[in-house]
Amino acid sequence: MDRREFFKISWGAVGIAALVSAVGVSLAAVVRFLMPSVFYEPPQSFKIGEPGDFPFGPPTFLVDEKIFVFRDRDKGFAVASAVCTHLGCTVAHFSSDQRFHCPCHGSVFGADGAVQHGPAPRALDWFEVTQARDGQLRVDKDKVVPPTYRLMV
Amino acid sequence: MNLIREIWQSIVRRDPLSTDKGKSELVFLNVWLHIHPAKVKKENMKFRHTFYLGFITFFLFLILLTTGIALMCYYRPYPPQAYQDMKDLQFVVFMGPFLRNMHRWAAHGMVICVFLHMCRVFYTGSYKKPRQFNWVIGVLLLLVTLSLSFTGYLLPWDQLAYWAITVGTNIGSYAPLIGGQVRELLLGGHSVGEGALIRFYVLHVAVLPAIIILLTIVHFWRVRKDGGLSKPVWKLEPKKAETLVTIGAPAVVAPMQAVAASKEKTYGLMEVVTGKPIFETITPEEEEDTVFSYPYAFVREAVVMMATVTTIMTMSLFLNAPLEELANPAKTPNPAKAPWYFLGLQELVSHSAFLGGVVAPALMVLALLAIPYLDRNPSRRLADRKLILWLFTIFVVANLVLIVVGTFFRGPGWALVPPWVHVVGGTE
Repeated sequence: MDRREFFKISWGAVGIAALVSAVGVSLAAVVRFLMPSVFYEPPQSFKIGEPGDFPFGPPTFLVDEKIFVFRDRDKGFAVASAVCTHLGCTVAHFSSDQRFHCPCHGSVFGADGAVQHGPAPRALDWFEVTQARDGQLRVDKDKVVPPTYRLMV
Repeated sequence: MNLIREIWQSIVRRDPLSTDKGKSELVFLNVWLHIHPAKVKKENMKFRHTFYLGFITFFLFLILLTTGIALMCYYRPYPPQAYQDMKDLQFVVFMGPFLRNMHRWAAHGMVICVFLHMCRVFYTGSYKKPRQFNWVIGVLLLLVTLSLSFTGYLLPWDQLAYWAITVGTNIGSYAPLIGGQVRELLLGGHSVGEGALIRFYVLHVAVLPAIIILLTIVHFWRVRKDGGLSKPVWKLEPKKAETLVTIGAPAVVAPMQAVAASKEKTYGLMEVVTGKPIFETITPEEEEDTVFSYPYAFVREAVVMMATVTTIMTMSLFLNAPLEELANPAKTPNPAKAPWYFLGLQELVSHSAFLGGVVAPALMVLALLAIPYLDRNPSRRLADRKLILWLFTIFVVANLVLIVVGTFFRGPGWALVPPWVHVVGGTE
């Protein structure tokens, strides 16, 4: 390889490297640009009210939060997700059979949230529920707890 | 008067259309028409060869483009307003329902016609050499058409739109590794909300139309460069099938006649290069069988365009595009269904989200893209291609059956309910 050819190849390589990195960085920037830095969505952790607001017996469905709040006289509070683990439809709780039914693809979840029927890949989530200092119940959707989790107030 | 004539002749510079020169100049001096050849083979204009599906698809796209731009004047892509604007279009805007209906029916029609066009190209073996890559472009056009329809589905922001997109995008999130991030990128959030609406709008009115126009240009250009439409299957001769699809110059070339330069003639400067053309060359006998594009091909195109527009307009007079109540994230309709062309997918997904929602569609798209490269059989004759015709037919029928089951046979809770059974109130 003579000097001329060496420079031809090395400048060519430098040029291609510059082009590839420029395109790569630009693409990465575009992807990052499309990823919102701030989500104007409801917070994952929120207060749902005083313990006394919730009746015993059938769960209370909170529409905006998409959660079921269970209150049991002996065991206390538990919060289940109403979002089907299959494709994100909102499940309904039937008092008649104590199970959750998804309208989209017929998934059925037992009283503990476990899949009993249908295409759902995993059980419904149960979220941590705690009592805030002001006495209100606080639910944190980022903290998934086992179905046996209960808050005694 | 001379000035008017001069202006006219500065715009239209061709010879009169009564002359052959004028007929060919009409095509190749006009930037919009010169995608056509000056002359076309008679056999290629036969309805039973192509059913004019490509043209119908193209004209449906033009309808979508014009009605879509009109609808944009009254639509704000923001959650509460978007639905109000739909109501305005439905009840307040002059011709609003008609335009919206046209847009909706042309969109469904385009999905159907793209699919039928693909079937036609497959059954006539027109994806074979040298047209393999144009088939790939065609498959991409199918995918972009589906994406356009899917992104448009969300814009009315009613229950139908909201839940179809919720289910549809959740199918995508089952893709391994990147599924969740891609969904977040698409929705601009964790669920279908205002971020999703504006992104779908941008995709629907800017990004995807640009892509589909660019791909269509390449698609048409390559049809032209491949020597126009493929030869109708009934013209294919047995045994000699290979030579018909093999490209190259004729084996024997008549010696060129030397003509003395003369001042009577004008000459364009062109380059003479060696090598063979990529397109199918035609024999002198085939040349005999051609006619000028004007008027024969253009009249047919105009008739197809008018038939397409008339059909869509007639449908739009009598059938209203659905508009349900305002999107309500808390209340899932039962059953919640994706757009009809994804219901086959949803049917698969109801059995297994990963296999049905990711593996099966990915394999389908890959198989479609690979067809011209996997099919090594050079013959285009139906009799020589029995196996692959069967395979493709099974593919088409399976898709149709799944879509029909998903559309008509799935009731509340995705239970198998025949369409003739009326379910009262669902399971709740």
